[in-house]
Amino acid sequence: MASVVRRASSDSPYLRDESKITGDADEIFVPETEEDVVKTVEEHFSEGRPLTISGMRTGMCGGCVPFGGDVLTTERLNKIIGIGKDSNGYYVRLQPAVTVRELNEVLRKRSYSNLQNITEDAVGDLLNEGTDFFYPVDPTELNSSLGGNIAANSSGPRTLKYGPTRNWVRRIRAVLPDGGIIDVKRGDIKADGRLFRFKTDKRELEVPLPSYEYNMNVKNSTGIMARDGMDIVDLFIGSEGMFGVLTEADLYISKWHPLISNIFFFPDNGSAYSFVKDIQKSGMEPEFIEYFDSGSLDLIRAARKRDPKMNQMPDVPEDAGSAVFMDFPIDGALMRKYMEIGELSEANGGSLENSWCGHELRDRERFFGFRHSVPQTIFEYVAGLKGEDPEIHKMGTDMSVPLDNLDRMMDIYSETLERYGLDHVTFGHIGNGHLHVEIILKDMEDLEKAKNAYRELAVKAIELGGSPSAEHGIGKIKREYIELMYGNKGAEEIRRTKEAIDPKWILCPGNMVER
Amino acid sequence: MRFVVFVKQVPDTSSVGTDENGNLMREGVPSILNPYCEFALDMACRVKGEGDIISVVTMGPPQAESALFRCLELGADEAFLLTDRAFAGADVYATAKTLSAFLKKFIPDHDLLFCGRQAMDGDTAQVPAELASMMGCGQFYYTEDLVFSDGWKAVQNYYDEERECALKKGDLISVSKGETDPRLPSVADYIRASGTEIKKLDRVDIGLGTFSVGLKGSKTRITSSRPVSISRRGILTDGGDPTEAAKHIKGMVR
Ligand SMILES: Cc1cc2nc3c(=O)[nH]c(=O)nc-3n(C[C@H](O)[C@H](O)[C@H](O)COP(=O)(O)OP(=O)(O)OC[C@H]3O[C@@H](n4cnc5c(N)ncnc54)[C@H](O)[C@@H]3O)c2cc1C
Repeated sequence: MASVVRRASSDSPYLRDESKITGDADEIFVPETEEDVVKTVEEHFSEGRPLTISGMRTGMCGGCVPFGGDVLTTERLNKIIGIGKDSNGYYVRLQPAVTVRELNEVLRKRSYSNLQNITEDAVGDLLNEGTDFFYPVDPTELNSSLGGNIAANSSGPRTLKYGPTRNWVRRIRAVLPDGGIIDVKRGDIKADGRLFRFKTDKRELEVPLPSYEYNMNVKNSTGIMARDGMDIVDLFIGSEGMFGVLTEADLYISKWHPLISNIFFFPDNGSAYSFVKDIQKSGMEPEFIEYFDSGSLDLIRAARKRDPKMNQMPDVPEDAGSAVFMDFPIDGALMRKYMEIGELSEANGGSLENSWCGHELRDRERFFGFRHSVPQTIFEYVAGLKGEDPEIHKMGTDMSVPLDNLDRMMDIYSETLERYGLDHVTFGHIGNGHLHVEIILKDMEDLEKAKNAYRELAVKAIELGGSPSAEHGIGKIKREYIELMYGNKGAEEIRRTKEAIDPKWILCPGNMVER
Repeated sequence: MRFVVFVKQVPDTSSVGTDENGNLMREGVPSILNPYCEFALDMACRVKGEGDIISVVTMGPPQAESALFRCLELGADEAFLLTDRAFAGADVYATAKTLSAFLKKFIPDHDLLFCGRQAMDGDTAQVPAELASMMGCGQFYYTEDLVFSDGWKAVQNYYDEERECALKKGDLISVSKGETDPRLPSVADYIRASGTEIKKLDRVDIGLGTFSVGLKGSKTRITSSRPVSISRRGILTDGGDPTEAAKHIKGMVR
């Protein structure tokens, strides 16, 4: 069956993502099979026509937003194919548009009846396992596609314990810009120093890699990965659709264990941060540590006033001026941890009483809804402003620094933003040295100020050994960070890699670097 | 005051899906405390004063312990699980019989009884009334609030009429309204609940014979059951051209 083609009207959802920038395109291709993808890509290749790949469009940097040419949406490539097992454990083979939520639901309900055995008896074996399994990377936005997650090397709160998407990819299958197919699992093809040599069913390729040192010490999604002797699977992970359309992947899954979610409230920002440092020193290893400053709690309060059903949580306690969100396994050590947390929270103005906890699935989902409601509220706020001025877009940092430098970076955030006179809220993955600082823009003037402030902050984050884009990628709105981090030379080298795989620059042109 | 709250564990209907044949898929569906029972417990917690005791009781399989744990987290002081293989298959009558026998033997001196209006799975709403009749106490359905002025008063909502009824010691109320967003326990509540033993009682402890409980003690005899489907007239618009089809549908909706 041929791909459905739709005309892109100017208000088509395929022209934007959660960065709220809007592009333009002529046609939307909706392939139903890999052959459809090959055909569409080949046609575009022969005409040298741009083709931007679109997943669920939850990205935050405009990676799937087209600027000219056409769009290929993966939305109908949405099947979970089967289950396999190798020496690293079970994995799920799936098409790219399966969402994180869908995968976890199938795993939780063990609804495997339509799934193939990728290796002998894998489905039956998984069914007979005493424990449940889950896919542990939680990009907060559970409606994002796993193809998009791989293309963006998504991470999230759980990265503290489980690492980013990269750590869970076993194999990928992709249609390259000329329509050739590459189907590789880890270990199949390694770079010779900084050069890949490999064959597709169409041609032989020689692909040089950038010479920069890709920072793996912090959460990092700035630029393509480049390391001596690296695996080719890693070249595709986090490449933002520049090198091929992912049509299939194998993702490992992990044993699930019962967890309890906790939110502890504190009087002010400083006390919550000091509590976090105490927790980190204690060695108790929560699954993740998330932070909400007073501004974030105020945003939630205000949003709940407008819509009491918003996150299905009780009202935030009136005296709460900040909060820390952590998950712990429910095991023999839990009570001992709680006793210690009791002391640490009291030392910082909190208490075991002034907290929420939940271990039933529905409650844990409410906690995650609460977490998600902070960025969501900001998106809605910005979307509202956009009505007044279409140029306005969300301005949030996504910078990580090594934990030892987090103190310094927190000071830099407040000092810089105060100097520019910008209102902001801070929340996010404090356990990874990775906070989101969101500027509450009031007008276009603020937008200009914010751009300058962000550039300053990005330079500082890099100086402190961090990354200016820790998890949201570069896409089209953060391209300047590539040069900030890797210089002109690094940007030029990414272009060279792109050129070697995509000589006509048809796939997702404009992501990370311009031609 | 001694308050007793009767609760039930039910499948979380909000996450029950149906398969392609329309059958409920219960696999992987978590069990939760029946929301109406949570309302009843919340009400008891709201009126609880210094020195008052809230006891929660459920008849159910061993797994029902988790529903009682939630009650302890949310403020109950003690919990009883009535569990016995012979209790299986109980209808509303046998259930009320078991609960009343427990109450007479273990908490004979109680001030108020609380039930949820109905269980989300069975939906009969019969147990509270039968329990009240076996206990010989008054029963107050559709209670939405409980106030204390010159004794306890139940505020009942009969849709066309709101009533305030005086309660006597030992009366039963069935609660039909509560918070839309359920409360969350604090870590301190969780720790307290974890340290509270859930007391398990079987048929012998309660003092009932096999013919009084479970399937054997039930009055209801289901002789057959069949699925009934509500018939809706489906119209298939098969125009080929989507624009034409859309126009057609728009015309019908109008
Ligand atoms: C409220 C909110 C919170 C978020 N929090 C986080 C977070 O904590 N961590 C995080 O990492 N992200 C976060 N995100 C961002 C987003 O969810 C991820 O970036 C996600 O991976 C994007 O998936 P998608 O399917 O929406 O992809 P899209 O946005 O559609 O595309 C993302 C990129 O991947 C490419 N792409 C998509 N599918 C394919 C494919 N099959 N083959 C090749 N390339 C493809 C696109 O061209 C584009 O460059 C958040 C988003 C929202 C809205």
